Amino acid sequence: MLQLLTKSDYLLRETLLGLKRGGWMNWAAVSTVTVLLFLFGMSLQASWQLEGLLNQFGSQLEVSVYLDTGVQAADLQPLVASLPDVTSVTVISKEEAWAELLQELGASDLKNATDQLSGNPLVDELKVKARVSQAVPILAEQLRQLDGVDQVQYVDEAVQRITQLNQGLNWVSLGMTTLLSLTAIAVIMTTIRLIVLARRREIEVMQLVGATTTWIYLPFILQGLVLGVVGAVMAWGLIAGVQQFLGSLLAQQSEFVQFLTQQMQLTPREFILLPLSLLGLGCSVGLMGSLFAVRRFAVRGSKL
Amino acid sequence: MIEPMPASTERSPIPPFNRAADHSSVTSPGRTRSIGEVIIHLEQVSKVYDNGCRALIDVNLQIRHGDFLFVTGPSGSGKSTLLKLLYGEERPSQGEVTVNGVPLSQAHGNRLSMLRRQIGIVFQDYKLIPRRTVAENVAFVLWAQGFTRKEIHRRLQPTLRMVGLQDKANCFPEELSGGEQQRVSIARAVVGTPPILLADEPTGNLDPDNSWQVIKILRKLNTVGITVIVTTHDEHLVRMSNHAVVQIRDGRLVRIQP
Repeated sequence: MLQLLTKSDYLLRETLLGLKRGGWMNWAAVSTVTVLLFLFGMSLQASWQLEGLLNQFGSQLEVSVYLDTGVQAADLQPLVASLPDVTSVTVISKEEAWAELLQELGASDLKNATDQLSGNPLVDELKVKARVSQAVPILAEQLRQLDGVDQVQYVDEAVQRITQLNQGLNWVSLGMTTLLSLTAIAVIMTTIRLIVLARRREIEVMQLVGATTTWIYLPFILQGLVLGVVGAVMAWGLIAGVQQFLGSLLAQQSEFVQFLTQQMQLTPREFILLPLSLLGLGCSVGLMGSLFAVRRFAVRGSKL
Repeated sequence: MIEPMPASTERSPIPPFNRAADHSSVTSPGRTRSIGEVIIHLEQVSKVYDNGCRALIDVNLQIRHGDFLFVTGPSGSGKSTLLKLLYGEERPSQGEVTVNGVPLSQAHGNRLSMLRRQIGIVFQDYKLIPRRTVAENVAFVLWAQGFTRKEIHRRLQPTLRMVGLQDKANCFPEELSGGEQQRVSIARAVVGTPPILLADEPTGNLDPDNSWQVIKILRKLNTVGITVIVTTHDEHLVRMSNHAVVQIRDGRLVRIQP
């Protein structure tokens, strides 16, 4: 316990001293990390929001089949299930659908409403699930050809385009994150290396009086970690600021726009996941940069 | 001026130089040793640098615990190389160096670090850290070796008093004279209480008065049981202090003087 305290005492002091020596180079490193994590965080958030929006349109693999009046869904079910690329078929009878619709409309008296319309106006429905989204249009055409089928509906091509766009965006942000990560690692590496060089006399003396390699270089590793963490905190602050700004902007918009963006709110899970991802990436970038920076010196040992 | 003796007189049985090495004294590092036990042992050691320069040739040397030994010789004769071999900064091209029971050929990484904690080193150019005060420079060694803050506090004042710098604890190295800086470097070398003290030309940059003061401190340390090895080219200083002497000339150990 005492040893641990001594260690943290030394490590804290040396880390802070190193950061002080780094001066403006620290800001170069921190701002690079901040930019990296800000863009990373924003694209992560955008991708989550787009996904949320897409989920609103329902499953893209589902085809709704509305049957002619009087045709029983259960009769058609085995035939539909035997079609290629079909994974499941669910029957929704017109009675179920009617009851559900009336409930949604707030009508409580089922019988009265039915009487007024002289019978249930709805038809039986089949919900058909396809294996892959590419098979959906062909499957829909096949279903339309079947006897007793009135109408076939599936998620529009436009939604599929948005999905593709989302995937494309994910690739772009992945590429961007990788590139910026490399830049951030390089900047942190240069910063730490400059600090190591500025303190090479101290390091030389430390080696001569028997300090172990870990003991000498751990403060430098911690410096890299601190740079990463500070960058992550700043990026999170920026992202939160942008969210606030957009939120206040939205409050002045029409209700329709507000309704649309409601689905784009982050879930609580995502709300926690975002800063954690930023912190994780920030830490790894900081660690990698400082490890690369001291590796060369540490491996060369006493000959600094 | 004492005439150099021929190499054949090397067999004289005067300590600290004794060829009839007793290998049974080689033990684990860090063990406390009694006075007179062999603490440093060089056996048939040669050092050839990568550029072909032959710094040491076939050196045999045995130093006992509690010895005070001068290593003299002209510049470039190999004095510094000898010390570097002792603290593992350089490796011998041939032969084996054993310090405090540890063969240096087997001391790498952390083992070498641990061995270096048994050796205090004083340099001609002091190697003080410019932006740290005298106290910080001395405490630095203890921080580097993982001592607690309390222990560092406990050791600092007595060590500074021993070299007569207790009033300059908060000065920076550039505010001190050369002699004072060298005394700081001695304080730094001994604050970890190593059994061995190596001083590489400690008086090289000092006037006679300061040089003598440094030697006096080293002698004081020797009386409390620290083995001291000093390299110098100042023959006058060596004669005045009346300690054992070996001379290195062109890489060979050529003379012993009690």
